[in-house]
Amino acid sequence: MNEIPLKQHFAPSGEQMTVRDLASCPPPEKWDDWIEYDAKAWPRKVEKHYAIIPTICFNCEAACGLLAYIDKESGSVKKFEGNPYHPGSRGRNCAKGPATINQVNDSERILYPLKRAGRRGEGKWQRTTWNEVLERFATKIRAAIIEGRRDEVMYHVGRPGHDGYMERVLGAWGVDGHNSHTNVCSSAARFGYQLWCGSDRPSPDYANARFILLISSHLETGHYFNPQAQRIIEGKMQGAKLAVMDPRLSNTASMADYWLPTWPGSEAAVLLAMARILLVENLFNREYMRRWVNWQEYMAAEHPGEPQTFERFIELLIDLYAEYTPAFAAHESGLPEETIITIARQIGEAGTAFAAHTWRAACAGNLGGWQVARALWFLSVLTGSIGTPGGTAPNNWNKFVPAPFLKPRPSEVWNELLFPPEYPLANYEMSILLPYFLREGRGKLAAYFTRVYNPVWTNPDGTSWIEMLTNEQQVELHAALTPVWSETAWYADYVLPMGLGSERHDLMSQETHAARWIGYRQPVLRVYRERNGEPVRYTYEANPGEVWEEDEFWIELSWRIDPDGSLGIRQYFESPYCPGTKLSIEEYYRWIFENSVPGLPEAAAREHLSPLEYMRKYGAFEIPQHKAPVFTLNERKLAPSDLQDAQVDEASGKITRDGAATGVMIDGGAYEGFPTPSRKLEFYSATMKEWGWPEYTIPGYIRSHVHRSTIDPERGEYLLIPTFRLPTLIHTRSGNARWLYEISNNNPVWIHPVDAGRIGVETGDLVRVTTEIGYFVNRAWVAESIHPGIVACSHHLGRWRLHTDQGTDRWASAQVELKREADETWHMRQLQGIMPFESGDPDSARIFWREGGVHQNLTFSVHPDPISGMHCWHQKVTVEAAHPEDAYGNVYVDPRKAYQVYQEWLAMTRPQTNRPDGLRRPLWMIRPYRPAASAFKRET
Amino acid sequence: MTKYAFVIDQRKCIGCHACTVACKAEHDVPIGVYRTWVKYIEKGEFPNSRRYFLVNRCNHCDDAPCVAICPTKALYKRKDGIVDFDSSRCIGCKSCMQACPYDALYIEPNTHTAAKCNYCAHRTELGLEPACVVVCPEHAIIAGDMHNPQSEIAGLLAHEPVRTRKPEQGTGPNVYYIGADEAALNPESAVEALPHMTMWSTLLKPGYEDENDIEKNTSLRTLKTINPLKPYAPLSETKDGKPTAQIVYDTPKNSAPWGWKVSTYLGTKSIGAGTMIVATLALALFGLNGAITGVMNALLGIGAPIIGGFFIALTLLLLVADLKRPDRALFLVTKANPTSWLVWGGFLLAIFGLLEAAWFLAAITGFVNVLLWLLIPTALFGIGAACYTAFLFGQAEGRDFWQGPLLLPILFVQAFLAGSAALSLLAWALHPGNSIDTFFTISLLIAIIVHVLLIFLEVFGPHANNHVALAARFMSRGGLQGIFWGQFFVIGSVVPLAILIVALFVPVAQPALSGVASLFALVGLFAYEHCFVVAGQIVPLS
Repeated sequence: MNEIPLKQHFAPSGEQMTVRDLASCPPPEKWDDWIEYDAKAWPRKVEKHYAIIPTICFNCEAACGLLAYIDKESGSVKKFEGNPYHPGSRGRNCAKGPATINQVNDSERILYPLKRAGRRGEGKWQRTTWNEVLERFATKIRAAIIEGRRDEVMYHVGRPGHDGYMERVLGAWGVDGHNSHTNVCSSAARFGYQLWCGSDRPSPDYANARFILLISSHLETGHYFNPQAQRIIEGKMQGAKLAVMDPRLSNTASMADYWLPTWPGSEAAVLLAMARILLVENLFNREYMRRWVNWQEYMAAEHPGEPQTFERFIELLIDLYAEYTPAFAAHESGLPEETIITIARQIGEAGTAFAAHTWRAACAGNLGGWQVARALWFLSVLTGSIGTPGGTAPNNWNKFVPAPFLKPRPSEVWNELLFPPEYPLANYEMSILLPYFLREGRGKLAAYFTRVYNPVWTNPDGTSWIEMLTNEQQVELHAALTPVWSETAWYADYVLPMGLGSERHDLMSQETHAARWIGYRQPVLRVYRERNGEPVRYTYEANPGEVWEEDEFWIELSWRIDPDGSLGIRQYFESPYCPGTKLSIEEYYRWIFENSVPGLPEAAAREHLSPLEYMRKYGAFEIPQHKAPVFTLNERKLAPSDLQDAQVDEASGKITRDGAATGVMIDGGAYEGFPTPSRKLEFYSATMKEWGWPEYTIPGYIRSHVHRSTIDPERGEYLLIPTFRLPTLIHTRSGNARWLYEISNNNPVWIHPVDAGRIGVETGDLVRVTTEIGYFVNRAWVAESIHPGIVACSHHLGRWRLHTDQGTDRWASAQVELKREADETWHMRQLQGIMPFESGDPDSARIFWREGGVHQNLTFSVHPDPISGMHCWHQKVTVEAAHPEDAYGNVYVDPRKAYQVYQEWLAMTRPQTNRPDGLRRPLWMIRPYRPAASAFKRET
Repeated sequence: MTKYAFVIDQRKCIGCHACTVACKAEHDVPIGVYRTWVKYIEKGEFPNSRRYFLVNRCNHCDDAPCVAICPTKALYKRKDGIVDFDSSRCIGCKSCMQACPYDALYIEPNTHTAAKCNYCAHRTELGLEPACVVVCPEHAIIAGDMHNPQSEIAGLLAHEPVRTRKPEQGTGPNVYYIGADEAALNPESAVEALPHMTMWSTLLKPGYEDENDIEKNTSLRTLKTINPLKPYAPLSETKDGKPTAQIVYDTPKNSAPWGWKVSTYLGTKSIGAGTMIVATLALALFGLNGAITGVMNALLGIGAPIIGGFFIALTLLLLVADLKRPDRALFLVTKANPTSWLVWGGFLLAIFGLLEAAWFLAAITGFVNVLLWLLIPTALFGIGAACYTAFLFGQAEGRDFWQGPLLLPILFVQAFLAGSAALSLLAWALHPGNSIDTFFTISLLIAIIVHVLLIFLEVFGPHANNHVALAARFMSRGGLQGIFWGQFFVIGSVVPLAILIVALFVPVAQPALSGVASLFALVGLFAYEHCFVVAGQIVPLS
């Protein structure tokens, strides 16, 4: 047997992998043939031979490492454990990692491409061939490209799980068709961060922090839950204090030293009050502010008559925020004044070791939520903790996206379905408005891919998506690319099964901590076969059924769109090693590993491996810090060559070259700075003024659409938080994981005992929750863990299917009836909750959970923030005891009201269509899949 | 010598359930049962409310009660401290589930044998950590050799204050908690609002299986779904009648491992053993002068062992039927564990059954003198068969209600009661004569009185701890009160007492009245056994 010799386990970096007397993982030299005893036969010692192959989890976006244990006898994956060679997850996982095996073995899994046999949404399916699928789409897309309808091809992605692959494909096709889920997710926080520093995500260095402020629940969910939760607790165990703002007692808030249950939307007021305390009590980092904040620009633009000095700027700053007293913040938020003061002082004391994070939470819930992220970053700026050890960096300092070979030229097309004129500053695509835009005749879609994306269920006003998807004039051809059934796939023309975390290639990097790494997702059965000398041409040959991987799907499709290369597309999908031949997926990544990852070829050589072999073996690589440093990159000096032909602006120090800002001069030194127009941290955003929002040039506080004053519980009015997430589930991706559903399977409405008493309900009773456009009926969960006046209903749950045994996984969905009445209103009724069923898996007959939750998102209208474009999730609702005719799971929606609300929010925008420069969007701002600068200009 | 233990650091645990799922993956644990799980409780009022997590699992006890009670050595303690199990030896008697105070065991639905955390012994054997330790994002589960001073776990145990679950049980648990909350550690100090609901799940709980589905158009607060213990618990920490600690997430628990077969077994065993005990006494009182003839022989020599033998056979049948693996019943003999009272009980019942058979054969073949030889062994083995259950239930360390010192005398009195009743009924049919009729009448009467007194002492007397008090209150004032007061006390005790008193004063009707009273008394006996078995298992172990 393979007993592990103790204390011999070192990571390639030299770091000791195991400091305990038992090892966390078999040593890599034995991964090809690891012998373990069969747990079920134990205590009989039955030997099982495994090949251990690393991959990356595909559940959330954290990209944690997994090791697949492939049973050599059966040739299938037995289990997934953590990969200790992964720098982000360090061999550990959340519940969703090991649950991947449920998804692989799911009895409900789609194994072959399906094509609809009846009308859209009728639920009749027949098996088809990949060849037919590829031909059908290639023809459609080729026609759109040739006929110049380059805005009619759309790829709509949930969470990508890769870095850059699709942008390259869409770029090669020359279409502006990248659509994402981001404006139901993070575009508000992104916008707030971007205004400050030009990067749109934060990367806190929790492990080294002295004070951590979370407006998030990163100890249970969130961007990079497992890796970041590891480091938050690590920091805490080393003495950092943790404060969590959340109106609901999350698991994260429960672990905090300070739980700050702010009224939703008041967070910016609290943060600005803290900022004011730092300023007034002189707890801020004066030198950092002087050097790195664009105060000169602010003074010149807004106070030209004042002395243009930093001292005067600070005086004015204190005046500017004079109204943000602790008393004001306490009034807005409901927090005690003393708490606000205490925390502000602790932040000040933490100084450069102050780590802060917000991502969705308050930003995603409220009108003007982007100001929350902006106000939070203000605290990081005041403490000088941007990108310091223990501070918070812009994410791209802690992320590494290696370039593939041959980058396509950016496309010349601008798709107004994605970035319409009303939202020039929208951080990401106006994804949630697509059904209205198509209805209004702003365009149509010739070919539409939803990719692991479930807008019918996830997006607000889901029935508008059903209408859109069933309208063959608006959406001519639709394929759902997904490993699992979804409510959206049900309305598609084709359902195309794509691989799970162990069945596909992807390359990912995430800002999990102060380091840069890449993780390599692999189809482990393919790798296993190839290791044994069995050639595999396409991943689907090794995967279960005919489950494809997307990377190969896009290569195939691109070749068929441009079979002779005449459209200029094919070249990007030809082998960089053997020109003219079709690119293999191995070659694509091999080229990246050989050419684009600093330090990888050397590390591989040390182990006598090729870079590709190294990544196949270890599944991850950390870029050495001397090759790609991670701290205070703004302080990097510009090389003298960078300064040739450069102009330096006298007042602001901005260095420009060929019209583009490249750095900034501070105290006589030339620095790289930040990717903002001023190359500094933009306390003052001239962009906001130029683009029609002069009142928001500096961090401020916008009263939310669910401000405290608008909600009166005495009149039955409450604020509904519909977004909170659970540690065990991931959006609508985890319905195929029975061990996860076994733990959490329902989303009752959390309600404070005082409110419950007023309404007259107790835990387990039915309540009716009425929104602007409809209502849903759910059970009450009466608890001290929710702010009075607020009710909360978790995300993920309330999955449904229309067919007895097909559609959304039966582990996770209720069977419902969904009817549209003559008056256009929609009615959903549960026919049966989650019930045991017979399948090849005896566990399916043991299901003991029942109701499955209520689909609340159907009853939400869109609330696009007029600036960031973020859907503002929080709802003003009335909550009452259920009516006699109400039953659990009932949903009612009036789509006419939904359209009205859309128009009301649309009217809040300030379209900038008459700009003299003709720009559709500031050139400096990030745009996912960025077209050429020329496309930014409106044709006049 | 290596001694493996766990430290669970609740200062770091974020309640993410990764351990639960990784364990399921390692061991293919089916839906509905768990080797490790995380319980959530909440305490305090907004905004001072907080949630607390507790990782639960087998405690790998130094003095593991599951090992002691296991009749076939399917559970065993390894030299390295791990309490491991061999499912190929398990007969599915579920006694380990009663013995474990930590709720660590379950019956695996595929194999119908007991299972639990075994510290991933198949991995430690190779030098690998248990699966839950590897997965834990916070390194909040620390495994290792606590006797090795170099180990991380030894360092933690040396420097951090640790607590264990239920140290008062004296089992020597080896899961050490850092920073765990009392209300999370102690299952009696927090309650759930509704058994069918947690903060993120709606489920059917074992014990409520009659509710096949959950009604969509009514509240979950129906009679069927009210937590039976909610009105009482927690006893210690209440404020305005509201519990201060609430369970907000938990897994569906094991249903009560022992049900009607076990409570019926207690009754049938009392009849089987008691009939012979009373018969030997009657024989000693009335038969020693050589009068074992005719009706007396029919009654005490033939009738008593027939009744006794029948009920002992029925008892054995019930015991086998209650096994989840009745096909392995013979393992009780072939793989017997000498520390298990289940084994000794089996032997006692078997020997006693043989004595009854011999008694019957002697009586029916006319070798009445043999009965005199058999008198004392039969009486002693009868008492053994009646009373060994006190030691068996005493080994059920998880069920404090069954640990009371009164159980032994109660079992003896119950046997006497049942035996008197059975023989009274037989006497009614056989007319053996006044003196013996009166003997049965008086012995039944005394048995009922002593039985009621002892049980009242058990239920209303001082309780050893909160667990016992909860069980007793569930019997007298909770879900069992109808059966306890109606069937046990009134129908099963007061009514037969009244009839028996009348019988004493109306000699003509005495056989009939005693017979009728006997039927009532037996109803009372079975009713109480039901209460005893159910109440003993009502208090949650985790």
